[in-house]
Formats: sequence, structure tokens, C-alpha cells
Amino acid sequence: MNVEIAGVTRRFGRTQAVAGVDLEAGPGVLGLLGPNGAGKTSLLRMLATVIPPSSGRLRLLGRDPRGYGPRREIRRRLGYLPQHLGYYPGFTVAEFVEYFALLKEMPPGQVPGAVAAAIERTGLGGQARAKLRTLSGGMLRRAGIAQAVVNDPNLLLLDEPTAGLDPEQRVAFRALLRDLGQRATVIVSTHLVEDVGAACGQVALMDAGRIVFHGTPAELTARADGTDAAGDAPLERGYSAVLAAARNGAGARS
Amino acid sequence: MTAAEVGQPTGQASARSRTAGAGLAGLRLARLHAASRRVLTCVLVLAACAVALRTALHWLPRTGVYARQIPLTIEAGAAAVIGVTTRSPFGEPERATGRWLPWLRLAGCVTLTGIAVGALAAAAAATHLAGGAAGLARDLAGFTGIALLTAAVLGGALAWTGPMAYLAVTLPALTGNWTTPWIWPARPPPDRGAAICAALVFAAGVAVITVRGARDRSCE
Amino acid sequence: MTAATAPAATPRAWRVPRPAGPARLLRIELRRSPMLWMLPLLAALFWLSAYRTAMNNPPFWTIRAATLQANAMLAFAPLLAGVCAWAGSRDGRRGLVDLVSVTAAPRWAAQLATWAAATIWAEALYLAGVAVLYEVTAHQGAWGGPLWWPVAVGVAMIAASCALGFAAGLLLASRFTAPLAALVAFLALAGGAFALQDNVRYAQIWPLSVQGPFPTDSYGIFYPYLPDLAIAQVMFLAGLAAAALGAIGLPAAAGGRWLRGTAAAVTVAGLAAAGTAVGLAGTARVTAHGIVIPALHDAASDRPTPYTPVCGRGPIRVCLHPAYRAYLPAVTAALGPVLGQLAGLPGAPVRVTQVAVTSVQSARDNGIGFGGPVISGRPPVLHLPLSGLTLPGEGNMSAAQFTSSLRQQYGPLIVNDLVGLPSGAAVGIGVTSVNAAPGARGAAQVAVARALDQIMDLTQVGGGSPARSGAGGSADSGVPPRALQVAAASHRFSALPAAVRHAWLLTHLTALRAGRVTLSEIP
Repeated sequence: MNVEIAGVTRRFGRTQAVAGVDLEAGPGVLGLLGPNGAGKTSLLRMLATVIPPSSGRLRLLGRDPRGYGPRREIRRRLGYLPQHLGYYPGFTVAEFVEYFALLKEMPPGQVPGAVAAAIERTGLGGQARAKLRTLSGGMLRRAGIAQAVVNDPNLLLLDEPTAGLDPEQRVAFRALLRDLGQRATVIVSTHLVEDVGAACGQVALMDAGRIVFHGTPAELTARADGTDAAGDAPLERGYSAVLAAARNGAGARS
Repeated sequence: MTAAEVGQPTGQASARSRTAGAGLAGLRLARLHAASRRVLTCVLVLAACAVALRTALHWLPRTGVYARQIPLTIEAGAAAVIGVTTRSPFGEPERATGRWLPWLRLAGCVTLTGIAVGALAAAAAATHLAGGAAGLARDLAGFTGIALLTAAVLGGALAWTGPMAYLAVTLPALTGNWTTPWIWPARPPPDRGAAICAALVFAAGVAVITVRGARDRSCE
Repeated sequence: MTAATAPAATPRAWRVPRPAGPARLLRIELRRSPMLWMLPLLAALFWLSAYRTAMNNPPFWTIRAATLQANAMLAFAPLLAGVCAWAGSRDGRRGLVDLVSVTAAPRWAAQLATWAAATIWAEALYLAGVAVLYEVTAHQGAWGGPLWWPVAVGVAMIAASCALGFAAGLLLASRFTAPLAALVAFLALAGGAFALQDNVRYAQIWPLSVQGPFPTDSYGIFYPYLPDLAIAQVMFLAGLAAAALGAIGLPAAAGGRWLRGTAAAVTVAGLAAAGTAVGLAGTARVTAHGIVIPALHDAASDRPTPYTPVCGRGPIRVCLHPAYRAYLPAVTAALGPVLGQLAGLPGAPVRVTQVAVTSVQSARDNGIGFGGPVISGRPPVLHLPLSGLTLPGEGNMSAAQFTSSLRQQYGPLIVNDLVGLPSGAAVGIGVTSVNAAPGARGAAQVAVARALDQIMDLTQVGGGSPARSGAGGSADSGVPPRALQVAAASHRFSALPAAVRHAWLLTHLTALRAGRVTLSEIP
């Protein structure tokens, strides 16, 4: 297993963002769904070793990220795309990706080839020398994806990766995810259920800091059977049904 | 009639309440605009500059090159800080709005300049500041004009480079007997040409910032 | 975007982690450093503040080096601090803190690369400016060789300004950080220079101090340039830079325990170096030929630099150090006629020789003064220090103005000494001589001195010597009768034919110096 989470919580002041999550993930693509404020981004940031858990046990790629050495090892094999991607406007696309390749301590001899490959994979081959400030929002997002995949990571964490991508690019991105998922653990946090349905072998649904569903997309769809859950697509109805059940259950308990 | 209009007074009372509401809205707009530009922090920094000036004047002699250089440096710093408040964190969405933005910019830079002059003049009151309050106002207005023009060219975040570069040119000019009025800090306060040059630069900077604003990209 | 164009598989287990391509990282940072955009502005400031000022002064290596160390740094350092604060706040301003923090490379290493790129550009520009200035100075025929220690101080100052600004930007990623960093740098430089002027004890460490109170053309000519103070300044600035750069490696996110321990050691070492340098500056003392810090002093620097003087060919031989050969005609024109008028008189200097300026501790205010001209030896020779004077080419000083100024400044002093009047009360403006009668202030001496001044068109600078004050006046202004008698005697003496006057002085000058001649005995 590349990701092992047991009882992980995260608190920001008085706000409990993640309220006890248990999750295991191996190679493949795991979609992370949930409403706004469910704790998806906080969970992703913990997996990316940006912030430590407030409690619980977390193991990534077989290592405990609390130690500096293991954390460094994890980061060499990690790819991360945050929800709000900052960038250096004066850098070109190639420089931006190369910069992060170097920071990820890729062997210097492999960097040029990896950078070129990452740029091609994200369809930015024609903009490799363009300054980031000249790119559209969707292209910037793809540049962010390129820096995340440049080191061919074992653990790839993507927060809203398809924001700003046109439909054609989203289709290609899903194919990229499936390819990456053959060797690595890819966790995609998204609001777009069709992305989950098309690319993810597993789905986890979060609500109020907890995982309320973990299974396959088909199992999520089946949850809507026999209910009048809202949604235009089967997966959406399953999503709504699970959330409603979780909230009703939580309401009954309180 | 919409739901929002139910219960609203009619006639003159309605006009008065609309005026009051518009006034309150205007104040709120100004407050939010000031918050977005970190005006409060700027005012605090200007107060710190005033304290620094007072402290410096306590230790500095009445005459000599340092009696001129150090207060001038503080004035340039105050102008630089005013310049960086022109930076907008919003970029294009803010520009694509109604008619109030230029007035807000104008009010912002003029008010901050006035606060800076007032604070530094108060700090220098009853001291031996070379040139007195008149010279301080002239120099500070000129520095601020340079900062505003730099903001229009390079962006609000880099507005400080203009007055600092100008200061670096001015400091040797204080001892070098330069006579050009465009180096107004090197000219005595009664010098009309220097005052005109400083005023022109200030007016140009205010005009450019009012009309165009700082050159800020949405990625800033 | 295609899934098919996957790269060749990267080895999964990198057993020997190699450094994260620091050279490549630095190359990216160099290409994209904001300092690159500031270079034109910095070049313009260098030209305005350092180059123009240097060219407005005579071609002495010492003057040019001092201009570099003082003027260029005053222009550069604050802007560099601001730009580096801007660079340091980059990740915070761009919202990239999270993304860069999850990379494997230690943050300290990446941050140092950003700082290094900005500093390299600044140093490159500065050194290019130094090269141009020194090349022009060499082309102008300056004597001796370039001084490199002031350049080293400039290099260290740039590194320190960049490091301190960068650390400030990392600490506070705000729009106000850059201008405040520049402002603080300006104030620190100006405040330090003010403390220097006030003779605050440890203020010599301040990098704008080149050789303390010494005139900039006084050192490195007769004696070797003393690098003691410059060494301490480099140590101080390098210590500050190290402390700032080490401090940014202390936070937990900067790296592992070893790295942070190294950063802590660098910080402590930097602070220790800076503190030691300040302490050394406190032990500095002004000696005859420069500032000496005993712990750093090389005794070999105390030996005079050999040289062959250049001499004129007039009736009064004027010999100057070869560094001043361009001023030989002016000095000859200034002092030659004065000495020519007095030639042959007992005690009159037969020759002028330039000597090094020496420092004198003033007991009155514990300040530093500089010795003036001295007439000594048998036959008497005028030993003349030229350092500290405004030389032709300096500012608006022309050769004619220099000649006139030199004559007006030293002519009366030579005459005073000849007739036995005492030197001026203040240190450095009088002539000390074997000829002067201690305490002698005879009216006849004053009358003869005034007459000689008038004949040689010498006017007193600054109101004249104390012995001369009040010797003028008219009956209407209530001037004492004695002063009128002095004026009358002076007028009589100056009206004599030159040969008669000279003959009288030949026979009576010794007695006049001894105070044995009365007003009535003056023809």
C-alpha cells in the first residue's frame, strides 16, 4: 500500500477539518469527492506532507513522514498539484517544470528528458518557451500538472486538476491519469463526478471531515437505487444519496 | 414593486434615506478600498517614519550635510511606502467596474500624502529641520510624485524603486552644488523653480494614478 | 496531452541521492532574477554617484577607490537590499509556499540559490564599474597601482546588503518589506556616516569609512596603503552576510537536523566575526600615516614607499612626489615668486620639498588634525604637505585658482615665519620653524610682514594670523595709535625700492626676528 491512513484528524483552531479518516490506497486512481468544506483539501495537504496530522497515523510509500529523512524520501517520489497554483510569471513553462524537477532532486542527467516528456504529456509542447504570464488559465493548470508528473511519482496528489481545462483536454487528462495509475497511487480531489467515473477505479466520498463512502464508482452509483436522490447522472445520484444518508445518520445520532 | 421595496418610505423621506444610504455605501466603499490597499498599515509606517524623524532630529546637528541627508531619506521612505499602496490585489476585475475607482485612487494618494506631510511636519515641529515644513512638503510631494509615476510604469509593488533611486542621486547632489531645479532637495526652500518642478511631478503622478492606476497584472 | 508518450522508466529506488543539480538551479535563478531588471538603473546610479564624482577629482588611485567605497555603496546598498527583499518574498507573494515546501530539496539550498543569483548580478555590475573606473584612471596616468581593498569592501557590502534584504523578504512577504528594507539601509548608512563624523569610537567599522579622517589623497602614496581598517570592514560585512544567510536556514522547514545545525553554526560564526570586527575597530588608532589596528597590522607597511621626486627647474627648486607631478607647474607658480622675493635672506627657504601629511592628535577636543608646512634644516627647506588641499580638477578648481589659493594660504605663513611671528593658534594652519622666536609679537615684525604681504599680493585667509589682527584701521574708527604707527611703518617699508628693502632685510632680519627692531627703525 502506498497510502495508509488510520484515525487521522486535523484541526485548525476550533475548526475540525478532518475528523478521523481511515484509508488505504495502492496503485490506481482514487477519486476524492465531497462538498465544499468536507476536508478534501486538508486531507490532500496532509498526504502531500504540507501539514502534519493533529492525530492519527499516516504512512506514505511505506514511510512515516514525521521524520525528516523519510519525509525527504517521500517528497522525491511525490507529485502534488494544489487547488490554487502559484507561479513565477517570468519563468517559461520549461523553466517552471525544470525548477521543480530539480527541487525534487531528480538526477540532473535525467532532468531535461523528464521535463520534455512532462511538457509533451500535458500538451504544452508548443508553449515550452512561453512565459507563464502569457498562458491562459487552462494552460497554467496544465503547466501545474506537468510539474507534478515530471518526476514520474509513486504518489500523485491532484486537487481540482481539471479546473479550466477544455473538454478535449479533460479527456486526454483522464487517459493520463489511467496511465499513471497503472504504476502509482493517484488521488484526485474533484467536484466533477464524470472525471471520477471515467478515470478512477476507486472513489472515496468525504463529508464533514469523515469518509462516508469508499468503493468503486459502480458501487457509488448503486447507492442511488431505490432513492429519489438528486442528480443528472447516475454517479451524481449516488453521490447525493450517500451524502443524504450520511447526514441523516449523523442527524439521528445527534 | 419588488419585495425589497416593500415597507420603504415614499417621497422626500425616501430621497433622504436614499442619500443617506448612498453616503454610507460610499464610506463603506472607501473603507474597503483602503483595506485592499493596506492603507492602515501605510499610516502606521508613516507614523513610524515620523518617530524616526523626531529621533534623528534630536541627535543631528543643526548644520552640516547629515542634517539634510537623514531627514530627506526618511521623506523618501515615506513616499516609497505611499507608492506601494497603489498596488491592486484584484487586477482586471476591479478595472472593469464603474466610475468610482479613479476617485478612490485620487483620494487615496492625496490623503496619504497629506497624512505623511502632516505627520513628518508635526514630528519636526520646534526642531531644526533644514528647510522647515515648507521644504519638507515640497520634497515629500516630489518624492511621492516619482513613486506614483514609477507605479504607473513598473507596477505598484515596485513603486519604491523610483524615490529610492532619486534619493541615491540626490544625496551626492546635496554636497555637489547642483543647481538644476529638478533636483529640488538640493535647492533652498524659497527656490521657486524647485517648488514648481516638485509640484509638477506630484501633479503628474497623481493624475496618472488617478486615470490609469498602477500597472498591475492579474497575476500579481 | 497524450498518455502514450510516457518517458523511459525512471529507476524507482535512487539509492544514492545526488544533489539537486545546484548549478542548474542557479542557472534558472540567474536567468530570472529580478536583479537583472535593475541593472540598467544600478548602472545609471553608478555613473552618477561614483563615476562622475570620481572623474571630477584628480586621478589618484586613493581618491578613486574612496569614491567607489563611499559613493557607490551609498547608491547601491539600499536598492540592493530592497530588490533582494523583493526576491526573498517571491514564494509568499506568488502563493507558492506550499508547493515549494513539499519538494525534496532543502528549502535553505533553494533559497540560497535565489539569493546567490541576485548577488552575482549585482557583484558583476559593480566589478564591471570598477574595471571601467580603474581603466580610465590608469589611462589618466595615476601614479602607483590600483587599491583593491576598498573594492573588496564594496564586494562584501553588496553581499551583506543582499543577504540582509533577502532575509527580511523571507521573514515578511509584504508589499512594504522592500521599501522598508531600502529605507532602513539608507538610514543605517547615513547614520553610520554621521557617527563617523562624530568620532564615535567603533564607528570606523562602518563601510563608508575609507581611512577615517585622513584626506583621501594622503594614503597609499608616501607610505603603503594600510589595509587594517578595510580588513576589519570586510570581516564585519561578511559576518553580517553569513549571519543573515544562516538565519534563514534555521526554521524547521528549511531542512533536516544536520542542515539546520550547519545553518546555526554559520549564523553564530557570522555574528562572532561581525562582533570581532567591531571590537577590532575599537582598537584602531590614528598614526602618522593611516589607521592602524594592532591585531591586523603588518609592520612592513610602516616603511615608506621609495620614489624619485620630480623637480622643477626654476630659481627656487620645487620637488614633488611623482604622483603629484601634474601639479608641479602650479606649485612652482604659487610659491616660486614668494620664495624668489625672499631669496638670500637669512632663514628663507631655498627649496620646496613635498612631504607626507601626518596626523596630529588635538589635545583640545581629542580630534585629529594634520600637520602643516614646516621650514627646517640648514639651509632651510620648506617641507610642504599637499594632501588635503583642493587640487586642480577637483570640483571647479582650476590650475590658476589652485595657484592663487596655495600662494594665499602658504605665502603669509612663510612670511610670518621669516620675520619671527608665531604660528596660528589652531593646529595645522601655522608654520613651525626653527626661526620663530617663542612668544615674539613685536609691532615691527607685524609691520614688515604686512608690507611683504602687500608687495607679494598676499591676502590673509580667514582674517589673518592673530599677530596681524587689528593692525589696520583708520583714525576715524578709533583704532589705537599703535596700530596706526604699525600701518604707517608698513606703508613706508612697502614703498621702498626693492633693492633697498632687500638690503635692509639682509642686515636687520635676524634682529627683527629676535624682537630687537622697533617701528621707528623701519625705513
